[in-house]
Amino acid sequence: MNSHFCGSSEHDVSRRDFLRTLGAGAGLATAGIGAVHSFAAPSLNDTLKANGKSVILLWLAGGASQLETWDPKPGRPTGGPFAAIPTSVPGVHISELMPQMAKRMKDICVIRGLNTKNGDHGGAAQLMMRGRLDEAALRYPDMGAVVARELSRADSKVPDYVSFYTASEGRDFSRQGSSFLGARYSPMKLAESMVPPNLKRLESISDMDHHARAELQELINSQFVAGHATGPVKSHANAYARVHGLMSSETLFDLSQESTKAREAYGPTLFGEQALMARRMVEAGVPFVRVSRAWWDSHGQNFETHQEMVPELDRVMSALHDDLKQRGLLERTLVLAVGEFGRTPAINASLGRDHFANAWSTALFGCGLKGGAVFGKTDKDGQTVVEDQVGAGELFATVLAAIGVNPKKEYQVGARPVPLVNPGIKPITQLLA
Amino acid sequence: MPTDPAKFKVAKEVSRKDILLCLTRVPETKRLFAGSSDGCVYHFDLAGEKTEPVAMEGHTGYVTGVALAGQQVVSGAYDGQLIWWDAESRAKVRGFKAHDRWIRNVVASRDGKLVASVADDMVCRVWDTATAKLKHELRGHEAMTPTHFNSMLYACAFSADGSLLATGDKVGHVVVWDLATGKSLATLEVPEVYTWDPRARIHSIGGIRSLAFSPDGTQLAVGGMGKVGNIDHLEGKPHVEVFNWRKQERVAKFSGDKAKGLITHLVFHPQGDWLLGAGGDGKGLFLFLDVNSGKVLREESALSHFHKFALDESGTRIFTAGHNKLAFWEAAA
Repeated sequence: MNSHFCGSSEHDVSRRDFLRTLGAGAGLATAGIGAVHSFAAPSLNDTLKANGKSVILLWLAGGASQLETWDPKPGRPTGGPFAAIPTSVPGVHISELMPQMAKRMKDICVIRGLNTKNGDHGGAAQLMMRGRLDEAALRYPDMGAVVARELSRADSKVPDYVSFYTASEGRDFSRQGSSFLGARYSPMKLAESMVPPNLKRLESISDMDHHARAELQELINSQFVAGHATGPVKSHANAYARVHGLMSSETLFDLSQESTKAREAYGPTLFGEQALMARRMVEAGVPFVRVSRAWWDSHGQNFETHQEMVPELDRVMSALHDDLKQRGLLERTLVLAVGEFGRTPAINASLGRDHFANAWSTALFGCGLKGGAVFGKTDKDGQTVVEDQVGAGELFATVLAAIGVNPKKEYQVGARPVPLVNPGIKPITQLLA
Repeated sequence: MPTDPAKFKVAKEVSRKDILLCLTRVPETKRLFAGSSDGCVYHFDLAGEKTEPVAMEGHTGYVTGVALAGQQVVSGAYDGQLIWWDAESRAKVRGFKAHDRWIRNVVASRDGKLVASVADDMVCRVWDTATAKLKHELRGHEAMTPTHFNSMLYACAFSADGSLLATGDKVGHVVVWDLATGKSLATLEVPEVYTWDPRARIHSIGGIRSLAFSPDGTQLAVGGMGKVGNIDHLEGKPHVEVFNWRKQERVAKFSGDKAKGLITHLVFHPQGDWLLGAGGDGKGLFLFLDVNSGKVLREESALSHFHKFALDESGTRIFTAGHNKLAFWEAAA
């Protein structure tokens, strides 16, 4: 795996940049001034943050096939060559490519009725990441930014939103961002390396000097804060504390800290290593981690591609499930596996499947979601949703509701109240505990 | 008089709703057995006005290999089963689980005494046709690719005299086996047919999809697709390399210029006039190749991808099985 950083300004998250965004964002958040206000009661937010809930999004970029994962149609002309296997939930079958997830189905929710209508990579990625399409004059924050905004703690010493996307294809399609929530909730993008660049202290500064400087800065700050106890001043101090926290938590980004057994469970691939890193991060208090596995866009040789990639997904997802469960993190961590769309039931002459957003699937678990639940149903060939159709908004609302955030909550952007999801959109209550 | 590749034209086409993934032909006839995506083997007779396919049911997965061995037809499928059928009555003779994973191809020796199957368990098994007893279990291919994903064993071919068998896998590794001993005689590497994209898409495409020995058994042709930029599609150039396998020397290398995609099947002309490769992307392609000169004699596109074909004894008729189509091509007199 490459360990060097691509060097682009877009992906560079230096300590100084991190400090700048923390300072700006934390200022807004803690002072309660500026462009964005929340109508939520402070006590509720505090409770949420104290619970330390997190989301791990396994972003299946390019569009994995629902027929080769969660909604198989064996024996049908559209079904493809893979068999369906029974799961630990009687009557529920998934693709034979996912035997490990089949064993864990009692803890997993599957949504088989997604109809998101958008089959364009860029538009669909934005739709799925934000739960709705942007308006002409308003760009919505994505799921990661909203979760980070709602669950991050001002005194946190770790990033609020981390996004792994190593493959170059589709990396910019979803245009991740925090929009009006401010830079603090923008993702720390890790593209070429699993370790943020410039994390280590400069070699020219000794460890003793480094700590001495920090103590001096803290002393000056505390004296200043004592006489000027305003929000921005406090947030500035918090931001410095977080950067120091990040620097001192260098081991957070060090997978060699994990046991051989844990690393073997996730597997040797990049996706496996990044998923393991995501677990380390949520354990350390990062509210939202996106681990992208690209690129599933199998217009040709769909079955070969899925035979290669689905077993990896099965291994990584089941390892993540087990790891979170064993560490007692499953009740406070939601894992969602979804991409921008699914793939056509029709099999083209290259033995491929094309883009398809009218009837596809996703799976999620954790945070008290009702394991074993299957919501939605497609017809016998997987062409249309015939029961319990939902869109991107409902999925977005369900994630928020599962982590304890009221989807009806509104942000005040200037003079305009902006709800977290569009009016009329509701979470899928059948999946919520 | 060599068969002129330029003279081949479609003589008959049969449209299908399914995908025909393999076929074998009854000698001196236009009768074919083809394996289908619906799990059946179909018998077709292209001699008459109507083809009237007859379904032979028994598999529960895509049927990807079918071989005529004497009076029996042996089929293999993604369900891991091999099934023996009586070629005349089309009745099932026997069937059993032969591989733990997808069977990718089934071939028979020219005398019909042996049948070989290759599968994604990365094992080639050689069977006595008459008794269905296992004669050899040939293991020479890695289960995992260098990047830790499952590999696949796509291709196998007998030499004309039945003494040799070649097998080829996803990453471009070929093994030539001595069937008297079950030992490896030589290995070849054809890495150009396997594209691992470490940067943009982080997965792979390609593999050795076809193998063929020359009539005298001295040369081995290996087919697939050349390196691919965008592995979302079968957009690489069709690729064939021919080796003097004993010396492990490449004697010819071919790449198509017009059509794109995989070479899924290779057959030498029975009189050695040319080597024919077929396959394609969404469309079909034929490559007629002169191994001696290293030249592409003819490159022809067709409407639909070819999965397998059969060449008749005279080398003047080609029968193709492909996506939604069965066809018969004839060289005009």
